[in-house]
Amino acid sequence: MLASPAAAGFSLMLRAEIVPTCIRSALQAGVLALLFGAAPGGAFGQGDAKRGEYLAKAGGCVGCHTEDKKEAVPYAGGRALKTPFGTFYGPNITPHPQAGIGDWTEADFIRAMRLGERPDGANYFPAFPYPSFTKISDGDLRDLWGYLRSLAPSGRANRAHDLRFPFGWRSLVTIWKWLFFTPGPFVSNPRRSQIVNRGAYLVQALGHCGECHTPRNFLGGPKRSRFLAGGKTPEGKAVSNLTPARLKKQSDAELKDFLVFGTTPDGDVPAEAMGEVIRNTTSQLTPEDLAAVIAYLRSLPPLPAEPR
Amino acid sequence: MKFITGSMMFVAGVLLTGNAAAQAQVKPEVLVKQRQSAMTLQAKYFGPLNGMAQGKVPYNASVVARNAGYLEVLTKMPWDGFDPRTKGEKTAALPAVFTDTAKFKEAQERLQGEAAKLVSASKGGDEDAVKAQIRAVGKTCGGCHEDFREKKK
Repeated sequence: MLASPAAAGFSLMLRAEIVPTCIRSALQAGVLALLFGAAPGGAFGQGDAKRGEYLAKAGGCVGCHTEDKKEAVPYAGGRALKTPFGTFYGPNITPHPQAGIGDWTEADFIRAMRLGERPDGANYFPAFPYPSFTKISDGDLRDLWGYLRSLAPSGRANRAHDLRFPFGWRSLVTIWKWLFFTPGPFVSNPRRSQIVNRGAYLVQALGHCGECHTPRNFLGGPKRSRFLAGGKTPEGKAVSNLTPARLKKQSDAELKDFLVFGTTPDGDVPAEAMGEVIRNTTSQLTPEDLAAVIAYLRSLPPLPAEPR
Repeated sequence: MKFITGSMMFVAGVLLTGNAAAQAQVKPEVLVKQRQSAMTLQAKYFGPLNGMAQGKVPYNASVVARNAGYLEVLTKMPWDGFDPRTKGEKTAALPAVFTDTAKFKEAQERLQGEAAKLVSASKGGDEDAVKAQIRAVGKTCGGCHEDFREKKK
């Protein structure tokens, strides 16, 4: 879970939000140099594809990177993600050299996940949740990459995003990143228990729960003071508050039943967006990881629902 | 005589209209209570089936058959409770219930269709098919809640 000491040192510096952005960019460049410099030298061993498969489930990658129809090829892309800025289509991430990411290097993958940048240096739109994935540890990124390399290549062509003017300009993302994006892997809080730290890592990094459960401002940036407090998406869909203000009403056993089976004590069912997350991700976690997620959610500051 | 028949018909007419007017005057809070009761009962009879479909509790064909029958009827009940006059009531119904009525109606019909399919599946005796249909019903519940129901506080 932890990066090498040198990388961790860099990450610590990167994460410190007091570091002025200009310096941070310089550090990013430094990390990049480190990544690119290190990769050919073999500092990155072959990632463990089997572990990577589990991590891909914990990351729910298949949701956005698979078409919403029966017999869709997993990870071959095509899911539509509707946002106020337009509709994004998850791309093919199988190792097909043209249709997928077959010609990428491991360093390209790490750069995409950690910094939200394409191999050619352009920004990804933050519909790709790299503000969360940046927190994934180096070791886990390598394992994820090992898993993605092991998939069967699919020639399914990507569909271009359909964005409202002027949100199609990738250069605008530079400003968005400057405002809302803090690159660097997750750092454990030594004052919290190991299980809470593990849960925090699963929720914040891989699970990217906050992408839906933290409300956003009009620029699509997360309202940090309302972390995981739920509310409504800009399209008016309801999103649950995951802080103890609401979860205190449910026992650990009830939460586990919900996250494993999708059942509630009163016979209710989750909304379908969460139903999919339960099938793809939370029901696939090991019992230890699921317990860690719950322990972490219980440790959050309680934030009451925003008044309507 | 003709006059009497005429006045009787008039009186009957008044009574009928009066009755209809009384119908229309069911208080909004009563409509809310009724529709919520129908929803509560759907959850009561769907919950155990969902547990069976997800492998949480053992499969029981006779419970499935009974509950599926209840659900087929219950899924017809809540909708007239979403009267525009209930807009001002404090409930979990999102405004889309009253603004996107076509989509809401479509969601209701989809649920009724899936519930009917569950009844026929439960008569077929193919456990896997029944479980798949239970999940299909669950998705329909969840799909509609996502657009039309606020999260519980």
